[in-house]
Amino acid sequence: MGRVASSRGASCDAQGYIEGVPATVLLDLSAVTKTFGDQIVLAATDLTIDEGSFVSIVGPSGCGKSTLFNIIAGLLAPDAGEVTLEGRNVRGATGQVGYMLQKDLLVPWRSVEDNITMAARLTRRVSAADRDEARQIAQRYGLGDYLDHYPRALSGGMRQRVAFMRTLVAHRPLLLLDEPFGALDAQTRLDMQLWLLEVWRESGRTVLFITHDVDEAIFLSDRIIVMSPRPGRIVADIPNPIARPRDVDVLTDTAFVAIKAQVLRLLHARQR
Amino acid sequence: MRVKTLVWVLVPLTSIGVLLLGWEIIVVAFHVQPYIAPRPLAAIQAIFDKWGVLWPLVLGILRETFYGFLGGALLGFLFAVAMSKVRVVRRLLYPQLIVSQAVPVIAIAFPLTAILGFDTVRPIIAIVIWIVFFPVTVNVLDGLTHVDQDLLNLAKVYGATRWRTFWQIEVPATVSPLFTGLKIGATYAITGAFIGESVSASSGGSIALTISQANGNNNGALVYGLTMLLAVIGVTFFLVVTGLEALSTPWLRRPTSRRSRRRRVAAPQGAQ
Repeated sequence: MGRVASSRGASCDAQGYIEGVPATVLLDLSAVTKTFGDQIVLAATDLTIDEGSFVSIVGPSGCGKSTLFNIIAGLLAPDAGEVTLEGRNVRGATGQVGYMLQKDLLVPWRSVEDNITMAARLTRRVSAADRDEARQIAQRYGLGDYLDHYPRALSGGMRQRVAFMRTLVAHRPLLLLDEPFGALDAQTRLDMQLWLLEVWRESGRTVLFITHDVDEAIFLSDRIIVMSPRPGRIVADIPNPIARPRDVDVLTDTAFVAIKAQVLRLLHARQR
Repeated sequence: MRVKTLVWVLVPLTSIGVLLLGWEIIVVAFHVQPYIAPRPLAAIQAIFDKWGVLWPLVLGILRETFYGFLGGALLGFLFAVAMSKVRVVRRLLYPQLIVSQAVPVIAIAFPLTAILGFDTVRPIIAIVIWIVFFPVTVNVLDGLTHVDQDLLNLAKVYGATRWRTFWQIEVPATVSPLFTGLKIGATYAITGAFIGESVSASSGGSIALTISQANGNNNGALVYGLTMLLAVIGVTFFLVVTGLEALSTPWLRRPTSRRSRRRRVAAPQGAQ
Protein backbone atom coordinates (compact mmCIF):
# COMPACT_ATOMS: atom_id res chain seq x y z
CA MET A 1 0.00 0.00 0.00
CA GLY A 2 2.98 2.21 0.69
CA ARG A 3 2.43 5.92 0.50
CA VAL A 4 -1.26 5.72 -0.15
CA ALA A 5 -1.92 5.44 3.56
CA SER A 6 -1.01 8.89 4.69
CA SER A 7 0.35 9.13 8.18
CA ARG A 8 0.61 12.89 8.23
CA GLY A 9 1.51 13.87 11.75
CA ALA A 10 -1.57 12.74 13.60
CA SER A 11 -2.53 10.40 16.33
CA CYS A 12 -6.05 10.12 15.08
CA ASP A 13 -7.13 7.08 13.13
CA ALA A 14 -9.17 7.07 9.96
CA GLN A 15 -12.36 7.55 11.92
CA GLY A 16 -11.49 11.12 12.66
CA TYR A 17 -13.10 11.27 16.06
CA ILE A 18 -11.76 9.08 18.78
CA GLU A 19 -13.42 9.43 22.14
CA GLY A 20 -11.30 11.27 24.65
CA VAL A 21 -8.50 12.08 22.23
CA PRO A 22 -8.45 15.74 21.21
CA ALA A 23 -8.36 15.94 17.41
CA THR A 24 -5.72 17.94 15.59
CA VAL A 25 -7.01 20.91 13.63
CA LEU A 26 -6.01 20.58 9.96
CA LEU A 27 -7.76 23.56 8.42
CA ASP A 28 -8.81 26.74 10.10
CA LEU A 29 -10.70 29.55 8.42
CA SER A 30 -11.20 32.69 10.43
CA ALA A 31 -13.42 35.57 9.34
CA VAL A 32 -12.89 34.76 5.68
CA THR A 33 -14.81 37.21 3.48
CA LYS A 34 -15.27 37.56 -0.26
CA THR A 35 -17.09 40.20 -2.24
CA PHE A 36 -17.64 40.36 -5.98
CA GLY A 37 -18.58 43.90 -6.95
CA ASP A 38 -21.14 45.00 -4.37
CA GLN A 39 -22.35 41.46 -3.70
CA ILE A 40 -21.15 39.73 -0.56
CA VAL A 41 -20.56 36.20 -1.79
CA LEU A 42 -19.12 35.05 1.48
CA ALA A 43 -19.81 36.87 4.76
CA ALA A 44 -17.21 36.55 7.49
CA THR A 45 -16.91 32.79 7.83
CA ASP A 46 -15.19 30.68 10.45
CA LEU A 47 -14.66 26.99 9.88
CA THR A 48 -12.42 24.43 11.52
CA ILE A 49 -11.79 20.98 10.07
CA ASP A 50 -10.16 18.27 12.19
CA GLU A 51 -7.53 16.04 10.72
CA GLY A 52 -8.92 12.78 9.38
CA SER A 53 -12.53 13.93 9.45
CA PHE A 54 -15.10 13.96 6.67
CA VAL A 55 -17.07 17.20 6.50
CA SER A 56 -19.78 18.04 3.99
CA ILE A 57 -21.15 21.40 2.95
CA VAL A 58 -24.71 21.59 1.68
CA GLY A 59 -26.54 24.64 0.49
CA PRO A 60 -28.45 26.08 -2.46
CA SER A 61 -26.75 27.65 -5.46
CA GLY A 62 -25.17 30.98 -4.66
CA CYS A 63 -24.54 30.21 -0.99
CA GLY A 64 -20.83 30.71 -1.51
CA LYS A 65 -19.73 27.11 -1.09
CA SER A 66 -17.77 27.02 -4.32
CA THR A 67 -16.24 30.39 -3.48
CA LEU A 68 -15.23 28.95 -0.12
CA PHE A 69 -13.64 26.01 -1.95
CA ASN A 70 -11.75 28.21 -4.34
CA ILE A 71 -10.44 30.25 -1.42
CA ILE A 72 -9.22 27.11 0.38
CA ALA A 73 -7.70 25.84 -2.89
CA GLY A 74 -5.86 29.13 -3.30
CA LEU A 75 -7.56 30.01 -6.59
CA LEU A 76 -9.19 33.03 -4.97
CA ALA A 77 -7.70 35.30 -2.35
CA PRO A 78 -10.23 36.32 0.31
CA ASP A 79 -10.86 40.03 0.84
CA ALA A 80 -10.30 39.51 4.54
CA GLY A 81 -9.62 36.69 6.97
CA GLU A 82 -7.07 33.98 7.40
CA VAL A 83 -6.74 30.50 5.91
CA THR A 84 -4.52 28.21 7.96
CA LEU A 85 -3.61 24.69 6.88
CA GLU A 86 -1.47 22.54 9.18
CA GLY A 87 -0.65 25.68 11.11
CA ARG A 88 0.66 27.53 8.03
CA ASN A 89 -0.96 30.56 6.49
CA VAL A 90 -1.99 29.46 2.99
CA ARG A 91 -4.07 32.48 2.04
CA GLY A 92 -4.06 32.68 -1.77
CA ALA A 93 -1.48 29.87 -2.03
CA THR A 94 -1.99 27.02 -4.48
CA GLY A 95 -0.36 23.60 -4.42
CA GLN A 96 -1.63 22.85 -0.90
CA VAL A 97 -4.75 20.72 -1.31
CA GLY A 98 -6.25 17.98 -3.46
CA TYR A 99 -9.15 19.12 -5.62
CA MET A 100 -11.82 17.27 -7.54
CA LEU A 101 -14.90 18.52 -9.36
CA GLN A 102 -18.06 17.08 -10.86
CA LYS A 103 -16.20 17.12 -14.17
CA ASP A 104 -13.56 14.42 -13.94
CA LEU A 105 -11.03 16.64 -15.78
CA LEU A 106 -9.08 13.63 -16.97
CA VAL A 107 -6.96 14.51 -19.96
CA PRO A 108 -8.10 12.45 -22.96
CA TRP A 109 -4.57 12.04 -24.35
CA ARG A 110 -3.23 10.26 -21.28
CA SER A 111 -3.85 6.71 -20.12
CA VAL A 112 -5.48 6.01 -16.76
CA GLU A 113 -2.06 5.48 -15.19
CA ASP A 114 -0.71 8.74 -16.58
CA ASN A 115 -3.83 10.58 -15.49
CA ILE A 116 -3.40 9.31 -11.95
CA THR A 117 0.15 10.66 -11.86
CA MET A 118 -0.96 14.02 -13.32
CA ALA A 119 -0.25 16.06 -10.19
CA ALA A 120 3.35 14.85 -10.20
CA ARG A 121 3.66 15.47 -13.94
CA LEU A 122 2.49 19.05 -13.47
CA THR A 123 5.03 19.85 -10.79
CA ARG A 124 8.10 17.68 -11.35
CA ARG A 125 9.43 14.62 -13.12
CA VAL A 126 7.23 11.57 -12.77
CA SER A 127 9.32 8.94 -10.97
CA ALA A 128 9.15 5.16 -11.05
CA ALA A 129 7.79 5.38 -7.51
CA ASP A 130 4.94 7.61 -8.74
CA ARG A 131 4.07 5.07 -11.41
CA ASP A 132 4.26 2.17 -8.97
CA GLU A 133 1.97 3.95 -6.60
CA ALA A 134 -0.52 4.75 -9.37
CA ARG A 135 -0.56 1.12 -10.44
CA GLN A 136 -0.93 -0.11 -6.88
CA ILE A 137 -3.81 2.17 -6.06
CA ALA A 138 -5.59 1.37 -9.32
CA GLN A 139 -5.21 -2.35 -8.68
CA ARG A 140 -6.30 -2.04 -5.10
CA TYR A 141 -9.48 -0.22 -6.07
CA GLY A 142 -10.51 -2.32 -9.02
CA LEU A 143 -9.07 -0.44 -11.99
CA GLY A 144 -5.92 -2.53 -12.40
CA ASP A 145 -7.08 -3.85 -15.75
CA TYR A 146 -7.68 -0.35 -17.07
CA LEU A 147 -4.30 1.26 -16.44
CA ASP A 148 -3.54 1.53 -20.13
CA HIS A 149 -7.00 2.64 -21.18
CA TYR A 150 -7.70 6.14 -22.32
CA PRO A 151 -10.42 7.89 -20.29
CA ARG A 152 -12.73 7.83 -23.32
CA ALA A 153 -12.97 4.05 -22.97
CA LEU A 154 -14.23 4.25 -19.36
CA SER A 155 -17.69 4.70 -17.85
CA GLY A 156 -18.59 7.83 -15.90
CA GLY A 157 -18.21 6.07 -12.56
CA MET A 158 -14.82 4.66 -13.49
CA ARG A 159 -13.64 8.05 -14.67
CA GLN A 160 -14.61 9.63 -11.35
CA ARG A 161 -12.70 6.89 -9.55
CA VAL A 162 -9.64 7.66 -11.63
CA ALA A 163 -10.09 11.35 -10.86
CA PHE A 164 -10.25 10.54 -7.15
CA MET A 165 -7.14 8.38 -7.35
CA ARG A 166 -5.37 11.26 -9.05
CA THR A 167 -6.44 13.43 -6.13
CA LEU A 168 -5.22 10.83 -3.60
CA VAL A 169 -1.73 10.31 -5.04
CA ALA A 170 -1.13 14.05 -5.06
CA HIS A 171 -0.51 13.53 -1.31
CA ARG A 172 -2.17 16.63 -0.06
CA PRO A 173 -3.46 16.47 3.51
CA LEU A 174 -6.87 17.93 2.62
CA LEU A 175 -9.08 16.77 -0.23
CA LEU A 176 -11.64 19.22 -1.59
CA LEU A 177 -14.37 17.38 -3.45
CA ASP A 178 -16.92 19.60 -5.19
CA GLU A 179 -19.96 17.51 -6.08
CA PRO A 180 -17.76 14.74 -7.45
CA PHE A 181 -20.67 12.36 -8.01
CA GLY A 182 -23.18 14.97 -9.16
CA ALA A 183 -23.25 13.78 -12.77
CA LEU A 184 -23.67 10.07 -11.99
CA ASP A 185 -26.90 8.10 -11.94
CA ALA A 186 -28.33 7.21 -8.53
CA GLN A 187 -27.15 3.61 -8.50
CA THR A 188 -23.58 4.44 -9.54
CA ARG A 189 -23.57 7.32 -7.12
CA LEU A 190 -24.37 5.08 -4.15
CA ASP A 191 -21.67 2.65 -5.26
CA MET A 192 -19.23 5.53 -5.48
CA GLN A 193 -20.20 6.76 -2.00
CA LEU A 194 -19.53 3.35 -0.51
CA TRP A 195 -16.28 3.17 -2.40
CA LEU A 196 -15.27 6.64 -1.27
CA LEU A 197 -15.94 5.74 2.37
CA GLU A 198 -13.74 2.68 2.01
CA VAL A 199 -10.88 4.60 0.40
CA TRP A 200 -11.19 7.43 2.89
CA ARG A 201 -11.11 5.01 5.84
CA GLU A 202 -8.00 3.34 4.50
CA SER A 203 -6.18 6.50 3.47
CA GLY A 204 -6.76 8.50 6.62
CA ARG A 205 -7.16 11.72 4.65
CA THR A 206 -9.31 14.68 5.55
CA VAL A 207 -12.18 15.40 3.19
CA LEU A 208 -14.21 18.54 2.64
CA PHE A 209 -17.11 17.62 0.42
CA ILE A 210 -19.62 19.85 -1.39
CA THR A 211 -22.94 18.38 -2.44
CA HIS A 212 -26.53 19.29 -3.22
CA ASP A 213 -27.62 15.85 -2.08
CA VAL A 214 -28.57 15.85 1.61
CA ASP A 215 -28.58 12.03 1.79
CA GLU A 216 -25.08 11.96 0.40
CA ALA A 217 -23.87 14.56 2.88
CA ILE A 218 -25.25 12.69 5.87
CA PHE A 219 -24.24 9.25 4.65
CA LEU A 220 -20.61 10.27 4.19
CA SER A 221 -19.88 12.85 6.84
CA ASP A 222 -18.90 13.40 10.44
CA ARG A 223 -20.30 16.92 10.21
CA ILE A 224 -22.75 18.60 7.88
CA ILE A 225 -22.27 22.32 7.34
CA VAL A 226 -25.39 24.06 6.06
CA MET A 227 -24.86 27.27 4.11
CA SER A 228 -27.31 29.90 2.93
CA PRO A 229 -27.13 32.59 0.23
CA ARG A 230 -27.34 36.38 0.18
CA PRO A 231 -24.96 36.79 1.82
CA GLY A 232 -23.29 33.39 1.65
CA ARG A 233 -22.70 32.13 5.17
CA ILE A 234 -22.75 29.09 7.44
CA VAL A 235 -26.08 28.73 9.20
CA ALA A 236 -25.61 25.38 10.93
CA ASP A 237 -22.90 22.89 11.79
CA ILE A 238 -24.54 19.56 12.52
CA PRO A 239 -22.57 16.63 13.94
CA ASN A 240 -23.42 13.19 12.64
CA PRO A 241 -22.81 10.60 15.34
CA ILE A 242 -23.91 7.57 13.30
CA ALA A 243 -21.30 4.86 13.80
CA ARG A 244 -18.85 3.83 11.10
CA PRO A 245 -18.34 1.84 9.02
CA ARG A 246 -21.66 2.73 7.43
CA ASP A 247 -23.51 0.69 4.85
CA VAL A 248 -26.72 1.27 2.90
CA ASP A 249 -28.90 0.40 5.91
CA VAL A 250 -27.81 3.68 7.46
CA LEU A 251 -29.89 5.50 4.84
CA THR A 252 -33.10 4.36 6.54
CA ASP A 253 -31.84 4.59 10.10
CA THR A 254 -33.95 6.78 12.44
CA ALA A 255 -30.90 8.83 13.43
CA PHE A 256 -30.22 9.42 9.74
CA VAL A 257 -33.78 10.52 9.08
CA ALA A 258 -33.70 12.87 12.08
CA ILE A 259 -30.57 14.61 10.79
CA LYS A 260 -32.06 14.74 7.32
CA ALA A 261 -35.22 16.40 8.64
CA GLN A 262 -33.11 18.99 10.44
CA VAL A 263 -31.00 19.77 7.37
CA LEU A 264 -34.00 19.93 5.06
CA ARG A 265 -35.80 22.32 7.41
CA LEU A 266 -32.77 24.61 7.41
CA LEU A 267 -32.40 24.51 3.65
CA HIS A 268 -36.06 24.88 2.96
CA ALA A 269 -36.63 27.74 5.39
CA ARG A 270 -33.77 29.63 3.80
CA GLN A 271 -35.01 29.17 0.29
CA ARG A 272 -38.31 30.86 0.90
CA MET B 1 -10.89 -4.55 -40.14
CA ARG B 2 -9.30 -5.76 -43.40
CA VAL B 3 -12.55 -5.36 -45.31
CA LYS B 4 -13.05 -1.91 -43.80
CA THR B 5 -9.58 -0.81 -44.91
CA LEU B 6 -10.23 -2.19 -48.38
CA VAL B 7 -13.49 -0.28 -48.65
CA TRP B 8 -11.77 2.83 -47.33
CA VAL B 9 -9.23 2.63 -50.16
CA LEU B 10 -11.45 1.26 -52.92
CA VAL B 11 -14.36 3.67 -52.69
CA PRO B 12 -12.35 6.86 -53.35
CA LEU B 13 -10.35 5.11 -56.09
CA THR B 14 -13.56 3.98 -57.74
CA SER B 15 -14.92 7.50 -57.55
CA ILE B 16 -11.81 8.85 -59.29
CA GLY B 17 -12.04 6.07 -61.86
CA VAL B 18 -15.63 7.02 -62.63
CA LEU B 19 -14.55 10.65 -63.04
CA LEU B 20 -11.84 9.69 -65.55
CA LEU B 21 -14.24 7.39 -67.37
CA GLY B 22 -16.82 10.21 -67.65
CA TRP B 23 -14.09 12.48 -68.97
CA GLU B 24 -13.09 9.87 -71.57
CA ILE B 25 -16.70 9.35 -72.67
CA ILE B 26 -17.37 13.07 -73.06
CA VAL B 27 -14.19 13.71 -75.04
CA VAL B 28 -14.86 10.81 -77.40
CA ALA B 29 -18.62 11.30 -77.76
CA PHE B 30 -18.44 15.03 -78.45
CA HIS B 31 -15.25 14.94 -80.53
CA VAL B 32 -13.54 17.44 -78.22
CA GLN B 33 -10.33 18.83 -79.70
CA PRO B 34 -7.16 17.65 -77.85
CA TYR B 35 -6.01 21.23 -77.12
CA ILE B 36 -9.31 21.87 -75.34
CA ALA B 37 -9.35 18.56 -73.52
CA PRO B 38 -7.31 15.46 -74.33
CA ARG B 39 -8.36 11.95 -73.44
CA PRO B 40 -7.26 11.15 -69.88
CA LEU B 41 -4.88 8.43 -71.00
CA ALA B 42 -3.24 10.84 -73.45
CA ALA B 43 -2.73 13.30 -70.60
CA ILE B 44 -1.10 10.65 -68.46
CA GLN B 45 0.95 9.49 -71.44
CA ALA B 46 2.24 13.04 -71.97
CA ILE B 47 3.67 13.03 -68.45
CA PHE B 48 5.48 9.74 -68.98
CA ASP B 49 6.85 10.87 -72.33
CA LYS B 50 8.46 13.93 -70.75
CA TRP B 51 9.29 12.40 -67.39
CA GLY B 52 13.03 12.83 -67.93
CA VAL B 53 12.61 16.62 -68.19
CA LEU B 54 9.78 16.83 -65.68
CA TRP B 55 11.04 14.94 -62.66
CA PRO B 56 13.55 17.56 -61.45
CA LEU B 57 10.76 20.12 -61.72
CA VAL B 58 8.39 17.86 -59.81
CA LEU B 59 11.06 17.44 -57.16
CA GLY B 60 11.41 21.22 -57.12
CA ILE B 61 7.75 21.97 -56.50
CA LEU B 62 7.62 19.19 -53.89
CA ARG B 63 10.54 20.78 -52.08
CA GLU B 64 8.98 24.27 -52.23
CA THR B 65 5.67 22.94 -51.02
CA PHE B 66 7.26 20.93 -48.23
CA TYR B 67 9.51 23.66 -46.84
CA GLY B 68 6.81 26.26 -47.21
CA PHE B 69 4.34 24.02 -45.44
CA LEU B 70 6.79 23.33 -42.61
CA GLY B 71 7.63 27.01 -42.24
CA GLY B 72 3.98 28.02 -42.39
CA ALA B 73 3.01 25.44 -39.78
CA LEU B 74 5.77 26.57 -37.44
CA LEU B 75 5.10 30.26 -37.93
CA GLY B 76 1.36 29.73 -37.61
CA PHE B 77 1.81 27.86 -34.34
CA LEU B 78 4.16 30.47 -32.90
CA PHE B 79 1.78 33.27 -33.87
CA ALA B 80 -1.08 31.45 -32.16
CA VAL B 81 0.90 30.91 -28.97
CA ALA B 82 2.09 34.52 -28.86
CA MET B 83 -1.42 35.79 -29.53
CA SER B 84 -3.00 33.58 -26.89
CA LYS B 85 -0.43 34.48 -24.22
CA VAL B 86 -0.04 38.20 -24.78
CA ARG B 87 -3.21 40.15 -25.31
CA VAL B 88 -1.41 43.13 -26.84
CA VAL B 89 0.16 40.89 -29.46
CA ARG B 90 -3.26 39.52 -30.26
CA ARG B 91 -4.79 42.96 -30.64
CA LEU B 92 -1.91 44.13 -32.80
CA LEU B 93 -1.53 41.06 -34.95
CA TYR B 94 -5.06 39.84 -35.62
CA PRO B 95 -6.19 42.65 -37.95
CA GLN B 96 -2.97 42.42 -39.89
CA LEU B 97 -3.29 38.67 -40.28
CA ILE B 98 -6.77 39.09 -41.70
CA VAL B 99 -5.59 41.81 -44.06
CA SER B 100 -2.77 39.51 -45.18
CA GLN B 101 -5.33 36.92 -46.23
CA ALA B 102 -7.81 39.36 -47.72
CA VAL B 103 -5.25 40.48 -50.28
CA PRO B 104 -5.04 38.13 -53.29
CA VAL B 105 -1.87 36.05 -52.92
CA ILE B 106 -0.88 36.60 -56.51
CA ALA B 107 -0.80 40.35 -55.90
CA ILE B 108 1.61 39.88 -53.03
CA ALA B 109 3.64 37.44 -55.06
CA PHE B 110 5.03 40.16 -57.32
CA PRO B 111 6.60 42.39 -54.65
CA LEU B 112 7.68 39.32 -52.65
CA THR B 113 9.55 38.06 -55.66
CA ALA B 114 11.10 41.44 -56.24
CA ILE B 115 12.23 41.59 -52.60
CA LEU B 116 13.47 38.02 -52.21
CA GLY B 117 14.99 37.54 -55.65
CA PHE B 118 13.71 36.33 -59.01
CA ASP B 119 15.96 33.39 -59.58
CA THR B 120 15.60 31.66 -56.21
CA VAL B 121 13.06 29.47 -54.47
CA ARG B 122 12.86 31.91 -51.55
CA PRO B 123 9.83 33.89 -52.82
CA ILE B 124 8.05 30.63 -53.66
CA ILE B 125 8.59 29.23 -50.19
CA ALA B 126 7.56 32.59 -48.71
CA ILE B 127 4.27 32.47 -50.61
CA VAL B 128 3.56 28.93 -49.39
CA ILE B 129 4.30 30.06 -45.83
CA TRP B 130 1.99 33.04 -46.38
CA ILE B 131 -0.86 30.73 -47.35
CA VAL B 132 -0.25 27.95 -44.83
CA PHE B 133 0.30 29.88 -41.61
CA PHE B 134 -3.15 31.45 -41.48
CA PRO B 135 -5.41 28.41 -41.05
CA VAL B 136 -2.88 27.05 -38.54
CA THR B 137 -2.88 30.26 -36.50
CA VAL B 138 -6.65 30.59 -36.50
CA ASN B 139 -7.28 26.99 -35.46
CA VAL B 140 -4.52 26.74 -32.85
CA LEU B 141 -5.50 30.10 -31.36
CA ASP B 142 -9.06 28.86 -31.13
CA GLY B 143 -7.85 25.66 -29.46
CA LEU B 144 -5.65 27.53 -26.98
CA THR B 145 -8.40 29.93 -25.98
CA HIS B 146 -10.86 27.08 -25.47
CA VAL B 147 -8.81 24.91 -23.14
CA ASP B 148 -11.11 23.95 -20.26
CA GLN B 149 -10.68 26.63 -17.58
CA ASP B 150 -11.45 24.08 -14.87
CA LEU B 151 -8.57 21.96 -16.10
CA LEU B 152 -6.26 24.98 -15.96
CA ASN B 153 -7.52 25.68 -12.44
CA LEU B 154 -6.84 22.08 -11.45
CA ALA B 155 -3.26 22.46 -12.66
CA LYS B 156 -3.00 25.67 -10.64
CA VAL B 157 -4.38 23.99 -7.52
CA TYR B 158 -1.67 21.34 -7.86
CA GLY B 159 0.89 24.12 -7.98
CA ALA B 160 1.87 23.66 -11.63
CA THR B 161 4.12 26.23 -13.26
CA ARG B 162 2.87 28.05 -16.36
CA TRP B 163 5.51 26.27 -18.42
CA ARG B 164 4.41 22.79 -17.34
CA THR B 165 0.75 23.68 -17.71
CA PHE B 166 1.52 24.82 -21.24
CA TRP B 167 3.34 21.63 -22.25
CA GLN B 168 1.25 19.15 -20.32
CA ILE B 169 -2.20 20.60 -20.92
CA GLU B 170 -2.41 23.42 -23.43
CA VAL B 171 -0.23 21.97 -26.17
CA PRO B 172 -1.78 18.48 -26.17
CA ALA B 173 -5.22 20.09 -26.07
CA THR B 174 -4.43 21.90 -29.34
CA VAL B 175 -3.30 18.84 -31.29
CA SER B 176 -6.69 18.37 -32.95
CA PRO B 177 -7.20 22.03 -33.95
CA LEU B 178 -3.58 22.15 -35.09
CA PHE B 179 -4.21 19.31 -37.50
CA THR B 180 -7.42 20.91 -38.73
CA GLY B 181 -5.32 23.92 -39.69
CA LEU B 182 -2.55 21.76 -41.14
CA LYS B 183 -4.98 19.83 -43.34
CA ILE B 184 -6.37 23.05 -44.80
CA GLY B 185 -2.80 24.30 -45.22
CA ALA B 186 -1.70 21.07 -46.88
CA THR B 187 -4.28 21.42 -49.65
CA TYR B 188 -3.44 25.09 -50.18
CA ALA B 189 0.34 24.67 -50.07
CA ILE B 190 0.66 23.31 -53.61
CA THR B 191 -1.45 26.18 -54.92
CA GLY B 192 0.93 28.62 -53.22
CA ALA B 193 3.96 26.91 -54.73
CA PHE B 194 2.34 27.05 -58.17
CA ILE B 195 1.55 30.75 -57.86
CA GLY B 196 5.08 31.39 -56.70
CA GLU B 197 6.52 29.51 -59.64
CA SER B 198 4.27 31.40 -62.05
CA VAL B 199 5.48 34.76 -60.81
CA SER B 200 9.15 34.14 -60.25
CA ALA B 201 11.32 33.17 -63.19
CA SER B 202 13.59 30.35 -62.20
CA SER B 203 16.20 29.82 -64.92
CA GLY B 204 16.04 26.07 -64.33
CA GLY B 205 12.39 26.01 -65.33
CA SER B 206 9.42 24.98 -63.19
CA ILE B 207 6.14 23.09 -63.35
CA ALA B 208 4.18 26.33 -63.60
CA LEU B 209 6.39 27.53 -66.43
CA THR B 210 6.07 24.19 -68.23
CA ILE B 211 2.28 24.30 -68.02
CA SER B 212 2.31 27.87 -69.31
CA GLN B 213 4.52 26.89 -72.24
CA ALA B 214 2.49 23.77 -73.03
CA ASN B 215 -0.62 25.94 -73.05
CA GLY B 216 1.05 28.31 -75.50
CA ASN B 217 1.91 25.37 -77.72
CA ASN B 218 -1.65 24.05 -77.66
CA ASN B 219 -0.29 20.93 -75.95
CA GLY B 220 -3.49 20.14 -74.09
CA ALA B 221 -2.29 16.68 -73.13
CA LEU B 222 0.66 18.08 -71.16
CA VAL B 223 -1.41 20.86 -69.54
CA TYR B 224 -3.96 18.34 -68.33
CA GLY B 225 -1.32 15.80 -67.40
CA LEU B 226 0.58 18.28 -65.23
CA THR B 227 -2.63 19.49 -63.65
CA MET B 228 -3.44 15.92 -62.70
CA LEU B 229 0.05 15.54 -61.33
CA LEU B 230 -0.44 18.64 -59.15
CA ALA B 231 -3.71 17.17 -57.92
CA VAL B 232 -1.94 13.94 -57.02
CA ILE B 233 0.74 15.87 -55.13
CA GLY B 234 -1.89 17.92 -53.28
CA VAL B 235 -3.89 14.86 -52.31
CA THR B 236 -0.74 13.04 -51.20
CA PHE B 237 0.20 15.97 -48.96
CA PHE B 238 -3.24 15.92 -47.44
CA LEU B 239 -3.11 12.17 -46.88
CA VAL B 240 0.32 12.37 -45.26
CA VAL B 241 -0.91 15.05 -42.85
CA THR B 242 -4.03 13.00 -42.11
CA GLY B 243 -1.82 10.01 -41.41
CA LEU B 244 0.34 12.08 -39.07
CA GLU B 245 -2.78 13.23 -37.30
CA ALA B 246 -3.90 9.66 -36.74
CA LEU B 247 -0.45 8.81 -35.37
CA SER B 248 -0.42 11.78 -33.01
CA THR B 249 -3.92 11.26 -31.62
CA PRO B 250 -4.04 7.56 -30.71
CA TRP B 251 -6.55 8.30 -27.94
CA LEU B 252 -9.17 9.17 -30.52
CA ARG B 253 -8.87 5.83 -32.26
CA ARG B 254 -7.86 3.25 -29.69
CA PRO B 255 -9.18 2.36 -26.25
CA THR B 256 -5.69 1.79 -24.82
CA SER B 257 -2.27 3.40 -25.04
CA ARG B 258 0.52 1.82 -27.00
CA ARG B 259 2.41 0.87 -23.89
CA SER B 260 -0.18 -1.78 -23.08
CA ARG B 261 0.87 -3.86 -26.07
CA ARG B 262 4.42 -4.04 -24.89
CA ARG B 263 3.28 -4.87 -21.42
CA ARG B 264 0.92 -7.54 -22.62
CA VAL B 265 3.77 -9.18 -24.47
CA ALA B 266 5.80 -9.12 -21.29
CA ALA B 267 2.87 -10.35 -19.23
CA PRO B 268 3.63 -14.12 -19.11
CA GLN B 269 6.56 -13.52 -16.76
CA GLY B 270 4.00 -11.49 -14.83
CA ALA B 271 5.25 -8.86 -12.43
CA GLN B 272 1.91 -8.66 -10.70
